[in-house]
Amino acid sequence: MPTEGTIPNADSAPQPAAEARAAIRRLPPLLVNQIAAGEVIERPASVVKEVVENAIDAGANRIVVDLEGGGVELIRVSDDGYGIPPDQMPLAVAPHATSKIAAAEDLDRIGTMGFRGEALASIASVSRLRIVSRAAGEPEGREIAVEGEHEADPRPAARAVGTTVEVRNLFFNTPARRKFLRTPGTEQTRCLDWLKDLAMAHPALAVRCVCDGTPRLDLPPGQSPRERAVALLGKELEDQLLEVSVDRMGDARGVVVWGLVGLPSIARATAKAQHLFLNGRTIRDRTVQHALREAYRGLIEPGRHPTAVLMIEMSPSAVDVNVHPAKLEVRFRDQSMVHRAIYHGVRDALGKADVTPTALQRLPGLGSGGGPMAILPPATRPPMPVEQQVDRLVEFLKSRPAPETPQDDEPERLRAEIRKVLDEPLPGTFAGSERHEQESRHGTPEGEMPRVRPADRVLQIHSSYLVTQDAHGVVIIDQHALHERVMFEKLLARVTGSGGGAGLERQQLLTPIVIESNRDTVGALEELTPLFDRLGFEIAALGPKSVGVRAVPTFLVSRGVEPGAFVEELLDKAVEEGFTPGSEEALHEVLDMMACKAAIKAGDRLSDDEMDELLRLRETVERSGSCPHGRATTVRLTIAELERLFDRR
Amino acid sequence: MKAICERAALLEGVNLVSGVVAARSPRPQLTCVKLDATNDANGPELALSATDADLALTVRLGRVEVSEPGSSLIPADKLRQIVSAEDNEPTLTIESDGDTAHIKGEDAHFQLHGFPADEFPAIPSFKSIADADPKTIFTTSAGTLSGLITRTLFAAARENSRYAINGVLLVRDGKKLEMVATDGRRLAKCSATTDAKSDPARCIIPSKALSMLLKLADEPEEPVHVAITDTRAVFAFGDDATDARATLSTSLVEGTFPPYEDVIPKDQDIKVTFDRDVLASAVRRAALLTNEESRGVRLAFKGETKALELSSRAPEMGEARIAVDLAGYDGDDIEIGFNPTFLTDALKVITDPEVVIELKAPNKPGLVKSGGDFLYVVMPVNLP
Repeated sequence: MPTEGTIPNADSAPQPAAEARAAIRRLPPLLVNQIAAGEVIERPASVVKEVVENAIDAGANRIVVDLEGGGVELIRVSDDGYGIPPDQMPLAVAPHATSKIAAAEDLDRIGTMGFRGEALASIASVSRLRIVSRAAGEPEGREIAVEGEHEADPRPAARAVGTTVEVRNLFFNTPARRKFLRTPGTEQTRCLDWLKDLAMAHPALAVRCVCDGTPRLDLPPGQSPRERAVALLGKELEDQLLEVSVDRMGDARGVVVWGLVGLPSIARATAKAQHLFLNGRTIRDRTVQHALREAYRGLIEPGRHPTAVLMIEMSPSAVDVNVHPAKLEVRFRDQSMVHRAIYHGVRDALGKADVTPTALQRLPGLGSGGGPMAILPPATRPPMPVEQQVDRLVEFLKSRPAPETPQDDEPERLRAEIRKVLDEPLPGTFAGSERHEQESRHGTPEGEMPRVRPADRVLQIHSSYLVTQDAHGVVIIDQHALHERVMFEKLLARVTGSGGGAGLERQQLLTPIVIESNRDTVGALEELTPLFDRLGFEIAALGPKSVGVRAVPTFLVSRGVEPGAFVEELLDKAVEEGFTPGSEEALHEVLDMMACKAAIKAGDRLSDDEMDELLRLRETVERSGSCPHGRATTVRLTIAELERLFDRR
Repeated sequence: MKAICERAALLEGVNLVSGVVAARSPRPQLTCVKLDATNDANGPELALSATDADLALTVRLGRVEVSEPGSSLIPADKLRQIVSAEDNEPTLTIESDGDTAHIKGEDAHFQLHGFPADEFPAIPSFKSIADADPKTIFTTSAGTLSGLITRTLFAAARENSRYAINGVLLVRDGKKLEMVATDGRRLAKCSATTDAKSDPARCIIPSKALSMLLKLADEPEEPVHVAITDTRAVFAFGDDATDARATLSTSLVEGTFPPYEDVIPKDQDIKVTFDRDVLASAVRRAALLTNEESRGVRLAFKGETKALELSSRAPEMGEARIAVDLAGYDGDDIEIGFNPTFLTDALKVITDPEVVIELKAPNKPGLVKSGGDFLYVVMPVNLP
């Protein structure tokens, strides 16, 4: 026994403590691959992803996926790609063997889906893998089977050009991993989710998936990105999707974004309806998600997620995709440029659109059918072009007795006059022939806010809602929500400077309003001071547990908001929600609070002038369709819906 | 009861007491006016009383004939509408029969279901309050009282909240009578003297009572007898407090009035005298281009050019500039922002043709003084 204090050397006899300690040794290749598989192959869906990506990289036009038992029993992916040459078959399943990159420089310009060269080897190490492939130009195919460590020699097999990868009994030799799998149903859904994303990214590819003998996906080849996205999101959503298109490909670091984003009314409780792609690869990227969320800020309620398909294209050198084994996360060289492109692209699309939900969309139970779509089929008849309407009216008028002093330019003048009338969304009355009436009333001019004509009567209902009409039907406005939005936008413009000023005007108080508070709040105060300062509040600690308000925004005062109670609530909120000073979120949060308190309330009776003014402001303010919390300010009951409700159609 | 009243006098009295009646009350009796007809040594008389539980007003009408003394409770709004509508009747007859009241004209007979007269709360008389060991009793004139109220009430907080006192502080000290009002952004103080001394007292009078007092104080020379206890104040209009034309009593606002003396700045460096109307006009015009988010008007005093420039700017509307000549100005340049409404409010109630503006710094309170008895502190607005 070595005496205390001496260091036992490696050659000394085994000791009790050392018995538990294993010697360092090189791991057998199977184990290496199984460990690697742990990173890449988590569940059947990962296999589907890896194998289908390989098929896409092999130039396939058609992919058929068979799943059994949620992919645990069997995953079979057949493609019509180039195939693997016979001599390379054994290499295909060897680790870090790939045809996709050759040298380190290639990592900077990865153009293929895969590149790490570990997928098949990883899969092989945790399943019973069989590959049948025939390369183009070869007379016959080859088959190779791998089961754990046992790799059978390739043997000839019959097959058309292309590759079939068959994965059976996934994780049969790693029971721990198998234990963590969910029910076959869940695993199948995850497989399908991946497959759908891949299909969305490659609209030209025919994709078919059969689960336990039942076809679950059958997408024809040669679809456009839009057709493919709509097919996968659901055809019924088509008229609630807006197209996003940004081209900032100024130089090699630029970006092109195309996509479809859903109206706020089809936002979902989870982010599942968000499909983000970078150069054809599914990603989950915070920058992109944040930009999307920001673009919808104030249009959807917090906690809901917009429906979106966004395809981002940029030079492979402007982005690092080799960050995450499953390549879900990426690193943009210029994050803020990507953020801006997406934010503005989505924002523009939303800004141009009429996001006013219709009454029956909000209340699907109102109509006769089941879901809103059953009630509101997308407009099948396209609106008649104005030109055609003009022609028809001109003809109609010409057929009447000519004026007593005919003028040469009469038809032209008439034409211009009528065009003016038709261009104007004229509510209520539907002049003209029977056919014109039928066709014009359902023509919802796309991408245009409903414009309430000032001359229209406005009715206040229960001192809470304003009811009026526009070209498409009855418009119902939540007076508080709309006023809140109007206030918010005005204040935001003031604070962010686009309205000309910097910061809000503040009224000094004769004596500070003293608020009893707590240590947390007083402690947080110093950090929050710049934010408050910008918003016109002067709040300072008076003691360890009390704060004094020395100035408040004049705007709050003139709207009759009690400053003490407001500041108290503000401080509580700031501490509770952990405002990040200087963040846009915190600024929006406070402005929203101010707007909410200052806005007219439900129950406030409005004079005609006030109602007119509110409706006028509605036209001038961005995002007037929803309040800053994302609730709708305006709902429309369309003429078509009214007709349905009264069984006229 | 039965009384024949001159309609015009009745209408005036009914209009006055209607201002006190509770608009909505869980006790319907409080939405009524109580009529008491008497015919004693003082001659025939009809007293109209109303209360909203805090405020109580009694107005006495002399031009009546009382054939049957008694009382009646009549819903205030109907009483007012009927008396007002019977406009070609010189007199109206009011009779009561239990809970039912009858109002009769030449060709009209209104039968109104009221309440038993004894269900009306007791209205405290001047005497009952004066006898209950008040802190002070004094007499002033209606003109003095209305002057104090007019020049302070506007600065009182309109909303009733934890941080605002919805009332005006009345301070009595020797011969001095003072009122102070603030809404936390400005403070108005006005003082007057009375002929005789009385004990010192301080109380906060609710705004509603002061508005009623303004309506009652239409004869400047009429004496007003005032008694203040810990919980109530009473104001009796007329030569004799116990036989007053009108008596208004009010509960007092509880709470502490902010220590206003500390707020009044003492060492203002810059003092400028203005013609009240010139300044008022300049402020009013500069205020035209302000809105809810840009409330402030900038006052730039320039020593070199001896001028004051008022300017306003609402980004979405435009800008205004008004120049005022300051021939005698020899102070430093200073720029300070104010809410123009706050200035206008004060300039409207100032009776003296001259006002003095005193300033120290852009972030320090401004002072408006007039006639030695009016003082107004206004906090600046920081313009971005």
